Amino acid sequence: MIEINNVTKRYYTLTALNDISLQVPPGEVLGLLGPNGAGKTTLFKLIAGVISPTAGKIRPSGEVWPKIGYKPERLLFPNHLRVSEYLHHVARLSNTPGPQINRAVQESLERVNLQSAAHKKIKECSKGMRQRLALAQILIGDPPLLLLDEPSNGLDPTGQAEVHECIEALHQSGKTIIMSTHHLQEVTQVCTHLVILNHGQIHYNNNMAQAMAAQSHIRIRVNKPLEEFGQSLMALHDEVEVTGDVIYLKGEAMNMRRQVLVMLLEAEFDVLRVEHKRISLSEIYAEAVQ
Amino acid sequence: MTQRISALSNYFLRSLLLSLTGVIYVLLGFAYWLVMFPPSQRTPDASYYILVLAAFGVGMTFLCTLSIASRANQGSHAPWIVRLPSRVEYLTAVLVSAILMATVLQLLLALLALFHGPDLTLNQILFIPPIWLALNTLTAVLALHATDFIAAGWSRVYLFGIIAVFLFGQSLNDKSGLNTWLILRINDMSRSLVSAGWVTLVTPLNSLVGWLQQDGTSTLSRFFSLPFWPFHAIADAVVMGSFDTSQALAPAVLLLYATLLIMLAADIFANKDLDLTE
Repeated sequence: MIEINNVTKRYYTLTALNDISLQVPPGEVLGLLGPNGAGKTTLFKLIAGVISPTAGKIRPSGEVWPKIGYKPERLLFPNHLRVSEYLHHVARLSNTPGPQINRAVQESLERVNLQSAAHKKIKECSKGMRQRLALAQILIGDPPLLLLDEPSNGLDPTGQAEVHECIEALHQSGKTIIMSTHHLQEVTQVCTHLVILNHGQIHYNNNMAQAMAAQSHIRIRVNKPLEEFGQSLMALHDEVEVTGDVIYLKGEAMNMRRQVLVMLLEAEFDVLRVEHKRISLSEIYAEAVQ
Repeated sequence: MTQRISALSNYFLRSLLLSLTGVIYVLLGFAYWLVMFPPSQRTPDASYYILVLAAFGVGMTFLCTLSIASRANQGSHAPWIVRLPSRVEYLTAVLVSAILMATVLQLLLALLALFHGPDLTLNQILFIPPIWLALNTLTAVLALHATDFIAAGWSRVYLFGIIAVFLFGQSLNDKSGLNTWLILRINDMSRSLVSAGWVTLVTPLNSLVGWLQQDGTSTLSRFFSLPFWPFHAIADAVVMGSFDTSQALAPAVLLLYATLLIMLAADIFANKDLDLTE
């Protein structure tokens, strides 16, 4: 849906993004992780067209730019408007035909569970309500690409769960979603692809399932140092590592665990411990941002 | 496109009208009427009526444009801007709403000023709209260029710098004393160059001084006055009570200036990094 090619963004002397390339296929839920100042919001603004890249290009995979629903990080609204008035304006700007505007507004309010606040002034809404309103406005006009900058920030656990459900439903309906968050659990729950940014560069970029699988390994501990026998084990596969009396099987080499165990027993090693260690997202994140 | 622009214009108009700033502008208009067209005395002069209300329109357009542009530049509108196929639609909405607001206030004041005001002939009534609209449109675009909403980098410094140079240049005549000042400065420069040993540069400077002392200043003054011709032409026509053939072009020339400035504003706004206030 979107291709980001060698994009750099500089603000005077500060480089916010440095030569990043990324492809966002249609239907993907891409989770952007990274510490504050990593460049996540800058990337959102670039995709949304609020700012232009200093170098490189952002272009649609198809011929035309998809319509974009954008939820900025800061919850800023024209506070003098009522919730429904605000959404009516969004509907008019989204080319929703006049007779369908009321229905579109009503549907978006229902999807984020905000019907009760429809006639409230925005300035009277709580942070949670404003967060929902920000989500409601992106749903109007059915844009295929949604940019969600910290969509569940400031919500209580119930509210967060509702946002996750909403994002999941949008994903099921075929929307392409790019979201940033500081909640690692949120990424594992709703994202299909993971990108970790730090200091304006992509430090990790992988499919979510592969990310979790690629980082796990099997650890086998034996009763004595493996020495020369370790060399024959490492010759089995590139992803077999031996350190002292420990053998690590990573990636595809994990499928060779039976063969390795048989070899160890035949060579009269005692197997003391076999562990399947799964690396958590927080460990992937910590490694990427170090 | 029309639906989007009208929705945005409607929003900007309402948000300004229902704000304290909007109320102040209405009161300001009322005060202007009381001062310039006191109801207790009659205003018989049609040219006074047209020019004083034109001045009000210009001032009010300037203020409305600044207010609406500052609202439009708020971060709360970022999701709206992103939804538009072109940012120029947003710019158009700002411009339309500012001109509409100012023109409506101007027309209200014009109606009030008719109380004990001049008896306008049909001819006079007919040449009011082009004058007021042209002036209001040009003012709105100039005001837009002065705001953070449109300005990018040094754009406003360049634009208003050029206008300032032309304003300065048109004063270069014998009466203003500016030419004497300019000649003295060039002579000073010549002396500095001689003492620095740059003698070759002195000859062209001396020729320039000679030219300025003969008819150079009036030529320069005429050149710099040229862009301001429509303003003089409109003022003259209003005072005379009718437009001659060339003066009738003046509002159109002002609209041409406005069009060029709108194109420049659209180009800047479409390509700038939006720095919306939060």
